[in-house]
Amino acid sequence: MNAMKLPMLGVLVILASIASLLVGASDISVADIANTLLSQGEYDFIINQYRLPRICLALGVGAGLGLSGALIQGVIRNPLASPDLMGISAGAGLAATTLLVFYAAAPVYLLLFTALSGGLIAAAIILVIAYKTRPTPMRLALIGIAVSTFLSSGIDFLIIVNPIEMNSAMVWLTGSLWGRNWTQVPIIWVTLATVLPFAFWLAWRLDVMGLGEDTATSLGIRPSKLQLMALLTAVILASISVAVAGTIAFIGLLAPHLARMLFGHHHKQLIPASALLGALMLIISDTLARGLQPPLELPAGVLTSLIGAPYFIFLLQRYKAW
Amino acid sequence: MSFPIRYLIAFVIAPIVLLLGFGSALIAWSSFPLTFSDVYQTLFHFDSTSIEQQILATTRVPRLLTGMLIGANLAVAGVLMQGLTRNPLASPSVLGINSGAACFIALSSIGIHLIGEVSTLLAAAVGGVVSGTLVMLLGGFFSARANPLKLVLAGIAINALLIGITRAAVILADDRAFSVITWLAGSLANISWQDWHTLWPSSLIGLVISVYVAKNLNLLALGNEVAVSLGINIAMTRLLACIAIVLLTASSVAVVGPIGFVGLIVPHIARRLVSNNFLLLLPVSALLGSCLIAWADALSRGISFPAETPVGVITALIGTPFFVFLTIRNKL
Repeated sequence: MNAMKLPMLGVLVILASIASLLVGASDISVADIANTLLSQGEYDFIINQYRLPRICLALGVGAGLGLSGALIQGVIRNPLASPDLMGISAGAGLAATTLLVFYAAAPVYLLLFTALSGGLIAAAIILVIAYKTRPTPMRLALIGIAVSTFLSSGIDFLIIVNPIEMNSAMVWLTGSLWGRNWTQVPIIWVTLATVLPFAFWLAWRLDVMGLGEDTATSLGIRPSKLQLMALLTAVILASISVAVAGTIAFIGLLAPHLARMLFGHHHKQLIPASALLGALMLIISDTLARGLQPPLELPAGVLTSLIGAPYFIFLLQRYKAW
Repeated sequence: MSFPIRYLIAFVIAPIVLLLGFGSALIAWSSFPLTFSDVYQTLFHFDSTSIEQQILATTRVPRLLTGMLIGANLAVAGVLMQGLTRNPLASPSVLGINSGAACFIALSSIGIHLIGEVSTLLAAAVGGVVSGTLVMLLGGFFSARANPLKLVLAGIAINALLIGITRAAVILADDRAFSVITWLAGSLANISWQDWHTLWPSSLIGLVISVYVAKNLNLLALGNEVAVSLGINIAMTRLLACIAIVLLTASSVAVVGPIGFVGLIVPHIARRLVSNNFLLLLPVSALLGSCLIAWADALSRGISFPAETPVGVITALIGTPFFVFLTIRNKL
């Protein structure tokens, strides 16, 4: 049974993607869609240029966020840690918004680089505070949330102050997959493809770290170096996801938790499971966001926070060891 | 203790700062040049044919008065909440009361009436009560070993949920979306005398109640047992304080939208100045809250002149570093 869980999750993701192909503002029958995918049909534009890239993006971004959350929680061992609650997403968002406001026609690589540096700076701020004050898990979460709120009010400020340049930033920011096309797809997938092997390389080392730093050291692992590398990976994943789809909340928190419920604590399973669950959650959210009241679109980020916030409360209720 | 310098700051400097803020909020960074003599003329020899004086009388004065009253409201609500929960991080925005009120107003303004068709103010009050109660319940405030951080985190989670609902509802209801979105940022830009008239009655009642419970709150701060033995009706005191909090917050949110962090910052500064006596703390907080909003409002016009930045964004930019600072300090 346990061995079957991961493949089953994979099948679920594929099913959700297929369902997502069927949903949208214009009603297209299953036969037409199959026809379009196999040979050129009359819905070529809607399917191949609109829905398909969007689904690929949702899968990539969701997987990136889930993986990032799993790594952060694995390193910090704080059940409330996640890229968005630690201010990393907001940092990447603020940096990228600043870039878009002052240089709207910025090329993609520059946007990626800026988002990445923003995420790194935010992570560095949190880490310095955490290192100086040695906070409890709850306090760390609070500090992260406050930093994150500060950065996102910075985003609000930029957008309101520069109403003319704000259009591109707005579309990008709300945590939505609307208006994306094939150009963004390779970015997130290439990142994932490079990071995933490394994440697996980290997997058993993170397990060993869970035994305590002394044990880990005696087993030939340098905890501080490992932690830094894992965090760096997580920040890269989260920042790239933000650069592609804006700030989408709570997936980085939820996916690892659900994965842990289903698969236990071994990172070898936890890492792919978090990625798959993240992808599943984002694709469902995005499908709902498009399908609830077409042609109107909700930002997928709104839907993920509707699911995520109650779960966060549930976590608060359950975790007794504050 | 001789007359301490902190009292000097609280009772002399703060009013002067307020007065300066008053002046700059009235005339500075205006798209239409105004001078102090215009202010003087408007106050004492109003001439209805002068454009300057008309601008002052119909937009600036109500805007400033509303802003200051809201600053006072939120600051007093913050003092009461921090006193009641004994939690230095408690404030209307952190514990979800602001966003609850905002959510219910947004829902009712796009035609979803959860509680029948009622005025904005009532919708805001109900929303504030609902979200506040939820946060208290989920944050374990009523449990035997209440953890202050858990309460705050529950507040933040409920905040996220309510903001999500509000945004989704606003976007789905398309046609009125834009006005609601600007209002959600917490802006003083379109305040008229009418807003002032919705604001002041409930604010006044709220402020009076808070002054009335101040003495009891002082005794309550000594601990429940001591308070009971001194003849305080604890349940009654708490209930009155909660009513005051809801009135103050709901009326503010109903008029200008959620403005965060005033209720968090101001009580801390006021406590530094006049210590923990609620009888002093309340008026000083009200004064400082008014100062903060008056200045934030002037800034909100100046910072990207001639565009207006919602004042809520300014208070958030000031307030969140303060919040981080409070969280880091190991005093919770």
